[in-house]
Amino acid sequence: MKHRLFLVALVSLASLIVSPQLMASSEQTQSQVVKTEPTDLPSALTYLNNMKQAYNNLNYTLLYLNTAQNQIQPKQLVHGIIDGKRITYFTYLNGTMRESLQFDGKISFYQQGNQPYSLLSHQDQSVFADIANFDFKSGNRSYEYIILGKDRIAGKKAIAIRMISKDNYRYSYIVWLDLDSYLPLRLDIINKSNVILEQTMVVSMSISETVSPWIKQLSTQATPDILNLPHNTTTEIADWNVDWLPTGFKVIKDDQHKLMMHDTDPVSYLMLNDGIVSVSVYISSKKALLADQKNIIQRGATLIYTKQIDSVEVNIIGEIPLVTAEKIAASIKPVN
Amino acid sequence: MKEYSQDLSSLIDNEFDDQEIIDAVLGDVELQQQFSRYQLIGDVLREESDGLDLRVDVTDSVMAAIAGEMQDDNVVPLTTPEKQDTNVVPFMKRFGQYAIAASVAGVVVVSSLIVNQDNATDASSTPVLNTVPFGGAAAPVSLQATPAQTENDIKERNERLEALMKDHQLQLQTKP
Repeated sequence: MKHRLFLVALVSLASLIVSPQLMASSEQTQSQVVKTEPTDLPSALTYLNNMKQAYNNLNYTLLYLNTAQNQIQPKQLVHGIIDGKRITYFTYLNGTMRESLQFDGKISFYQQGNQPYSLLSHQDQSVFADIANFDFKSGNRSYEYIILGKDRIAGKKAIAIRMISKDNYRYSYIVWLDLDSYLPLRLDIINKSNVILEQTMVVSMSISETVSPWIKQLSTQATPDILNLPHNTTTEIADWNVDWLPTGFKVIKDDQHKLMMHDTDPVSYLMLNDGIVSVSVYISSKKALLADQKNIIQRGATLIYTKQIDSVEVNIIGEIPLVTAEKIAASIKPVN
Repeated sequence: MKEYSQDLSSLIDNEFDDQEIIDAVLGDVELQQQFSRYQLIGDVLREESDGLDLRVDVTDSVMAAIAGEMQDDNVVPLTTPEKQDTNVVPFMKRFGQYAIAASVAGVVVVSSLIVNQDNATDASSTPVLNTVPFGGAAAPVSLQATPAQTENDIKERNERLEALMKDHQLQLQTKP
């Protein structure tokens, strides 16, 4: 009997000594779980890459509004995959019929009252394409990605990610993604004072397993004639070049070509691109003298900047802040 | 046949059960049709037609009439314009047509100019909005006297801006 009591005491004592250890160890594993949880959540970069996948590979229809400078335009985008090839149909929902269809290396434009035509085009021209096809990984030299939080857009649970420019030479973006499909639902272009310059907002989204039969049928129709762009002078590079470019920007076109005007002098042309925005730089001999030496027109995020320097006129068009256009214009040098 | 009309009438009113007449009716298509017309008239008079379709079936007679008509061949097939052999057309020929990218751009330039003019009197307008100067605020920028801006100059300037915008759109569409 005594022995038994002693044994019980011993066992209980042992358990007393052991149990805190047990508890401690369980706490430890718990804290480990808590620690690993945040890393299991997708990062902003993962979300953005998922968006790229979704935008390029799903069959979907988006109805969206484009807002810039108090003007709202409702538009529709239908996207699908036919035999591994992407097809995109786009239309304005209000006003004159304006439609385009991009498929198989061509983009065709149809407009009420005009003859339809096609252009050879290999870049996706649809609304979120510039943002969705950005190389987010190497793009973090120019942008920082931050998850802002959850929101609700077009009746869907969405996550907002902010792409903040690391300098003042480009605009920042906020993009909202559908948490189920990762399709982009809203895109704001904001300047450095956080003013929204342009906004694209999806109001209705539908995703289907198979491609919409309607655009499948469109893909089989003959497209309008391809316009042969005047390449007569494009073998030459521009007479001018830029000395300064913001981080991440590259010259992706460098030629001389004629404008669609009555005058026939070719202009020197450079296209600058940072993976999201494309900026056109035109350098020509001065035509009429401006009353002011420079001229600025801003619409939404698009800037049309004109500056006359000595005997040349520089025109810069693109979705960039004024300061960038000024610096680019100032850095223009003749090519020897 | 005429003499059967009265009998038919009686038959309808269930006042007549002469097997011979009934047989005659069953054997004569014309009588059957007449019987059915009488029934219909009766129904309509008694307002029992209950939305019954009163249309007389004239299909057969119309079809017969059509078959009898000589067909006048005055329908001319549409002449389809000859398709060009080549799928590629010289660009300059189609100057006016590439206006979509273009027309989008055109709207941009024109409307922003209008917006700008409207805002010219409005001091609170966005500071970046700068108008293409209207009505010769000539600034002496060099020794050479600046000619006052005429309407024509402004028109030319707008045309040029529009041409630039169109070209920008076109370059975007065809960027590498």
